[in-house]
Amino acid sequence: MAILEGRNLRKTYKLGRRNTVEALKGVEISIEKGEMVAIMGPSGSGKSTLMHILGLLHTPDSNHGPAPELYLGGENVADASDNARTKIRARRMGFVFQDFNLVPTLTAIENVMLACEYAGIKGKQAKAAAIEALGLVGLTDWADHKPAELSGGEQQRVSIARALVNKPEIILADEPTGNLDSDRSAEVLALFRQFNREQGQTIVLVTHDSDVGEACDRVIKMRDGRIRDTGLHTTTPVMDVQATAATA
Amino acid sequence: MRLVRDLGRRKLRTDLTITGIAIGIMALVVFGSMANKMNALIGGGSKYYQDKAIVSVGSMFSGTIQPLALADLDKIRGVEGVAAATPSVDMLLSSDGAAASMGTPEMITGNIPGGDKGLETFRLELSAGRDLTAADATTKVTVLGADLARRLNAKVGDTVTLRGVKFAVVGVWAPTLTAPDKDAYVPLVAAQELFVKSLPPLIQSKVTASEIATGVTVYATKGTDPELLKTRLTALLGGSYTVMTGKDFDALLGSFSAIFTLVLTGVAMLSLLVGGLSTVNTMAMAVAERTREIGIKRAIGASRWRIRREIVFEASAIGLISGLIGLAIGAAMTMLFNDLGRASGNVLFELTLGTAATALIFATVLGGIAGFVPAWHASRLDPVTALRYE
Repeated sequence: MAILEGRNLRKTYKLGRRNTVEALKGVEISIEKGEMVAIMGPSGSGKSTLMHILGLLHTPDSNHGPAPELYLGGENVADASDNARTKIRARRMGFVFQDFNLVPTLTAIENVMLACEYAGIKGKQAKAAAIEALGLVGLTDWADHKPAELSGGEQQRVSIARALVNKPEIILADEPTGNLDSDRSAEVLALFRQFNREQGQTIVLVTHDSDVGEACDRVIKMRDGRIRDTGLHTTTPVMDVQATAATA
Repeated sequence: MRLVRDLGRRKLRTDLTITGIAIGIMALVVFGSMANKMNALIGGGSKYYQDKAIVSVGSMFSGTIQPLALADLDKIRGVEGVAAATPSVDMLLSSDGAAASMGTPEMITGNIPGGDKGLETFRLELSAGRDLTAADATTKVTVLGADLARRLNAKVGDTVTLRGVKFAVVGVWAPTLTAPDKDAYVPLVAAQELFVKSLPPLIQSKVTASEIATGVTVYATKGTDPELLKTRLTALLGGSYTVMTGKDFDALLGSFSAIFTLVLTGVAMLSLLVGGLSTVNTMAMAVAERTREIGIKRAIGASRWRIRREIVFEASAIGLISGLIGLAIGAAMTMLFNDLGRASGNVLFELTLGTAATALIFATVLGGIAGFVPAWHASRLDPVTALRYE
């Protein structure tokens, strides 16, 4: 069953009064539960925009063309309110960014606990969950250090722990290895793979890096605001993806 | 904890803002304490006057107190509605007449102990020693007001010199925050002697000490309106006498009190307005600096409400810290000024719990309100744009 399914996803950004950019020109996408998918494409292909829409950070355009649809676990969230989208991000999604995006004044464990707090988990329960998540990324001993005291790879592992801590339905990662050397990249990638294999965690990565793409179950290729290749000819662990391919 | 760390991030700017508000709060505390003292003085007078009429020659507030003949006393006692009338001799403590000070001047007050027949409702409490009694009538003893005792450094059992005459201190009043704090209470006879001595030699020979008084306190019988009593007394005594009631007192000083409070509060509010704007600036800068962090928080699921709350709390904390500092400095200043002024009898400040609490609450609320606009702005940021912000 598709955990995330989108149709008619369009996005136009206004840069100036007459200058608009059509970042997404009508995208159809389906991501299965338990999949680890890479979205690849050159700069300006619309891959980040697509991720922002899938992550409910932006809403798809609904003022022109056929009405957009975005299903999360079967529920249409395309025109959910800001509050509802915020709640979904907090409780059902995890985010990993290229620049790690940790809060500089908070320690590693506090950064992880922030995600718990937003999901409505507090106190001892939050602390226990944060310690567990830091354990999974191998940073138990660094829990009380601030981001500035950690290496880039370590910071990214903290942000992965933050994305994992609420055991979300889906993790969205935007160029997670973009600022790391190849050894650290491999480490981070191995972590994602591990959570995907061991816990069936659904993961969507946006990347430039073909090594990252190769490590995934499937690569979706984008160009000029459209999906050029759904990657469905590669082996996928889920059978009914074929059905989606037939309609695509 | 997190909040304190966030405040510590922009130390200089936060410090400047805190200083700005602290100065405002300090002004509020100092001026508020001054207004408290003034209002206590005036309120005390108002309470004292409410159930009686004071008869004197000339005006009580003109500074020139002339004697009136005790022969008039029996006439006053005969007026309908008069329960008791007791003569008093009031004069400035300083013999050179220089009594320029804020608040009330130091006075010598001569009374007949028990002359009020138990009708006086404005009761003074003793902090040490005893009150004057009928047995003291012809002796040189005194009960001192709290401020005066402190200035003269006199305790019960000490001897003080009032207008060149030695008096034994038998009691000290508890502080009232109003006029009696600066008075020396003596038996009427002693006061009459002092008063005659203060007159020019030519007049001195023409008066008999035991026949004069500077004022008569007239107590109304229960149910008699002091205003009605005033009308009767004025009719009886004629125009050269002044009859003063509570209503007159309030008319004279009540509006003064209101204006005084208004002006002082206005000055303090003005400085707080500046402090408040400074908080808006600090928080707006803090929001701009933390745009990216706000983006992170919004992206991983912080609601708009939570972002607003965070910033308003931080601004309130700036307010509260400023309030505490301002209050501490203000309290220290009032204490210092009071100590300095005590020597000259000028105790000008009265810091009450209410003023302190108002200052703190005001500072905190001011901070919170100042934080609201930046908070609103922060909560409306687009998370993706905010994340890309450098």
